[in-house]
Amino acid sequence: MSTVARYALVRIASACLTLFGVAVLIFGAIHALPGSFEDVLVPQAPQELRDQIAARYGLDRPLVEQFGMWLGRAIQGDLGVSLITQQPVAAEFARRLPVTVEIAGLATAIALLVGVPLGVLSGLTGHRRLVPATSRLVGGFAMSVPDFVVGAVLLYVFSRYSLWFTIGEWTPLADDPIANLRGALLPAFALSLLGIGLVLATARHATISVLGQDFIMAAVARGKRPGTVVRQHVLRNAGIPVITIVAIYSGYLLGGTIIVEMLFSVPGIGRYLIFGVLNRDYTVVQAGVMLAATFFILLNTLADALYAALDPRLAGSQGR
Amino acid sequence: MTQPPRRYLRLPFGNDRLSLVATIVLVLLVLAGLLAPLLPIGDPEAIGAGPRLSPPTGDFPLGTDNLGRPMLARIFEGILLTFVVSTIAVLIASVVGAILGMIAAYTHRALDETVSRIADMLFSFPPVLLGLLVTAILSPGIHSAVAAIVLITLPAMVRVVRAATLDIARRDFVIVAEVAGASFGRRLFLHLLPNTAGVVAVQTAYSISLGMLIESALSFLGLGVQPPSASLGSLLREGALYLDIAPWLAFGPGALLAAAILSVNLFGDGLRAIVDPLEARPLR
Repeated sequence: MSTVARYALVRIASACLTLFGVAVLIFGAIHALPGSFEDVLVPQAPQELRDQIAARYGLDRPLVEQFGMWLGRAIQGDLGVSLITQQPVAAEFARRLPVTVEIAGLATAIALLVGVPLGVLSGLTGHRRLVPATSRLVGGFAMSVPDFVVGAVLLYVFSRYSLWFTIGEWTPLADDPIANLRGALLPAFALSLLGIGLVLATARHATISVLGQDFIMAAVARGKRPGTVVRQHVLRNAGIPVITIVAIYSGYLLGGTIIVEMLFSVPGIGRYLIFGVLNRDYTVVQAGVMLAATFFILLNTLADALYAALDPRLAGSQGR
Repeated sequence: MTQPPRRYLRLPFGNDRLSLVATIVLVLLVLAGLLAPLLPIGDPEAIGAGPRLSPPTGDFPLGTDNLGRPMLARIFEGILLTFVVSTIAVLIASVVGAILGMIAAYTHRALDETVSRIADMLFSFPPVLLGLLVTAILSPGIHSAVAAIVLITLPAMVRVVRAATLDIARRDFVIVAEVAGASFGRRLFLHLLPNTAGVVAVQTAYSISLGMLIESALSFLGLGVQPPSASLGSLLREGALYLDIAPWLAFGPGALLAAAILSVNLFGDGLRAIVDPLEARPLR
């Protein structure tokens, strides 16, 4: 177990390093423009007022010191106040987080539930000529059609014929789970299309390459039933690439929700962030991007740990 | 295995009809965008050229928008802009990425570590989010869309070229060249670059499709192309406002965008099958 533990430790250290780099990158990028904070707050103010504001927000200190202060507060959960509304940013994010997490979670679930069976099936029947072309077209279609195009079609169809779903109203999950689902499923589906394509293609490819292995032939030769071979050998070995792609996809979801939330008027993090960008509310942007990057890096680390659990050889080789 | 029958006309992509069709669609779309000013479809920026929000008619095959501008002309203008923005950005990313990737793999280890770490870091940003960050800093517009696409597609290019170079640099002909006293630049541009060209081309094709996606996503959010210019994304943004009363405004750009991105992806698949036949077709 010690190699796995050491592997995990190395992974965590590397994740922390990446996170620090990301923090420097975001902070540096946003502070590269001199005076932009004052320009947002008081565009036409005299110099004295600008100086006062700079002093109040610590903008007159050296950049390294500012970065240290920001990072120190961020680690303690204080992400600053919004430049526009003066509300604490962390609380605003916390309030909207469940909505975004729910949509993203639903989208991932749909992607896995649809993508894995279709992908494995298409991999298993890969020798027929029509199947690869069809799955390539379906997969390609799912990966090529932008989520806001799918979203617009869904929006059009379901605002015309409601068909049980609701659009533009959001009920919190705790208040009424059914009403919540009626509003959440459509955006989740629009978001899941890329995931379906990715998971399908990955599961198909993985299935095909596993089927070529000797141990499959050996299992068939031992007289195992096809269903057992698929369950015990194919699915287990095809799991690793699928986990990778889901980790990558979750990162995409962080960005994808922004678009879908705008389109379907879902009150999540994405909408908050986009209004932050449009209003040049730097605290919000800085906090939002940092949170998203943190989440994404955590996820990747988790995926790496999962591989090591599924395939201990990876931990020994330290391979990437 | 029998020899396939000899063909007198050799089509690109061989048996891969899907990629061939995609390439033809792609060429047609670009031609439509380039030749739009010469076609009898109206002026995309002529406000009040027709009735407002007209459904598709003989005069306006895709209807008109809220200012009476003909949608067909606007869509053709939009597809060109989407293509051009994405292609310019990706070409920048390809050149920079190829150079960085080769140098990272073929010079000092410390440099390799630095470049790879930074690429990993950029790669760890979700694409749309990186686009948002760039737009927040640079203010909305085409320039920030280009910058965003460069930053988003660069790390993948660096990784791909670096991996290919690591593989090629070990081969005998490169080592022989080094022993024979070929200069660094000569080895880089005469030995390594031509052998990574295929990988770069494939990655460029995929990057262009990603770039089109990013550009239209940003424009859809109102952060990319600003009016009066229009890309497919900003047309869709306008269309989404009138979805109830004039759905054709959104469906034209949406369908064309999907078709364009799908075509670029399939073209990339075909290119990959040529460059790397074993990887692309595991079963044959």
